[in-house]
Amino acid sequence: MIKVQGLVKSFGKLEVLKGIDYEVKEKEIICVIGPSGSGKSTFLRCINLLEEITAGEVFIDGVKVNDPKTDINEIRKEVGMVFQQFNLFPHMRVIDNITIAPKKIRKMAAADAENLAHQLLEKVGLADKANAYPEQLSGGQMQRVAIARALAMQPKIMLFDEPTSALDPEMVNEVLDVMKQLAHEGMTMVVVTHEMGFAKEMGDRVLFMDGGYLVEEGTPDQVFNAPKNERTKAFLSKVL
Amino acid sequence: MDFLDIRWDMWGIIWNYRELFIRGIGITVSLTLISYLLGLILGLFVGMGKLSKRKWIYYPCKYYVDFFRGTPLLVQILLIHTALIPGIFGHSLGYFTSGVIALSLNSAAYNAEIIRAGIQSIEKGQMEAARSLGMTTVIAMKNIILPQAFRRMVPPLGNELIALLKDSSLLMVIAANDILFAGKVVAGATLRFWEPYIMVAILYLCLTFILGKVISYVERRFSNSYIPMQRRSLLFFSLRRS
Repeated sequence: MIKVQGLVKSFGKLEVLKGIDYEVKEKEIICVIGPSGSGKSTFLRCINLLEEITAGEVFIDGVKVNDPKTDINEIRKEVGMVFQQFNLFPHMRVIDNITIAPKKIRKMAAADAENLAHQLLEKVGLADKANAYPEQLSGGQMQRVAIARALAMQPKIMLFDEPTSALDPEMVNEVLDVMKQLAHEGMTMVVVTHEMGFAKEMGDRVLFMDGGYLVEEGTPDQVFNAPKNERTKAFLSKVL
Repeated sequence: MDFLDIRWDMWGIIWNYRELFIRGIGITVSLTLISYLLGLILGLFVGMGKLSKRKWIYYPCKYYVDFFRGTPLLVQILLIHTALIPGIFGHSLGYFTSGVIALSLNSAAYNAEIIRAGIQSIEKGQMEAARSLGMTTVIAMKNIILPQAFRRMVPPLGNELIALLKDSSLLMVIAANDILFAGKVVAGATLRFWEPYIMVAILYLCLTFILGKVISYVERRFSNSYIPMQRRSLLFFSLRRS
């Protein structure tokens, strides 16, 4: 579903990704772990071209993302993204945050979009917050709205960029629970995370990245219990 | 000793010239409001142009701002009224046209900088979130970035409105019969200077006071901490309507 070949990303002279090859299959939950600055987030952001790709290729459903002929907006309709800092639109009510993209991009009728938004709010447990403004919500609630907002476009793939890193500890689980539910429903997900518990429990595959390389890859059991690479071992010994 | 020689019986004479002053107020206000509106629209495009990565858009906008901010408004007024317009049309189109053109071109340059800074002040994540949902840059700009940036632009844009009102008095040099012109006529006719120009000052003060009230209302209405329940009812908020 997502195919990455020889992906290189440089910011000026700094090479952040040094050639990544990977393939994500449909309905897989991929958890990307690794130390800060290892290129995890950049890897994720290259998939929907929020970062320009320096070299290499990314395909989604067989369509080359970084082809000048590809309309990136068409691809982004199918790829939802959730950010560390939520990035809700602060000038809109929760319901409008969720309906704006379906209405403007999918040309959905206002009533349909609102129905969908109410369903999604129900799903993330915030049915009573439809008319609130983002600043009236807690961090965990904001992130759940952000997930609902991404789901409103009915994407095939969801990208999560450290979705719980900006949250107070007691709010982490409410967000992870929504993500687990999503996983159970068969969503294809790529999750950059520091939540090793989530990676162990939910991940189909775990990727360990370090220094711009994909160092190790395997099932959670392989990576967490029998890491082969020294750097993986060193990293896991610090975080577990 | 003429110092502070204000003669109270002069106010009666000024009262006789009231029609001149009232017309002056009308001219000043309409010059200001029309130029402000045009300057705002032009400023929006120039300001966004200055954010463009395309050089053929960026540089004209940059030079435009450099020129109109870097030369005196009085010089611009004279250039436009006595050189540019007669050069194009062969004759003058009257002080009002020249005045509106000069004032709106000048205020557009200042507004452009305010608008550019306002847009840049919005966190990068907002644009990224909008784009990640599949919005084009134009849709994201219109629905996500500008409505937020606009709130931050209200105070400096309000300053520009008040500055423009006062700057419109410079149009006296091309014989615009605004408030200042009325004062000058009265001064010339009566050979009194205190009372006519104090009257002029009071009238400008009243107008800026009223504008100040309007601006602070708009500022409250659009502040980020203000959470209205029926925001959509406001007529000119259609920009924000989703």
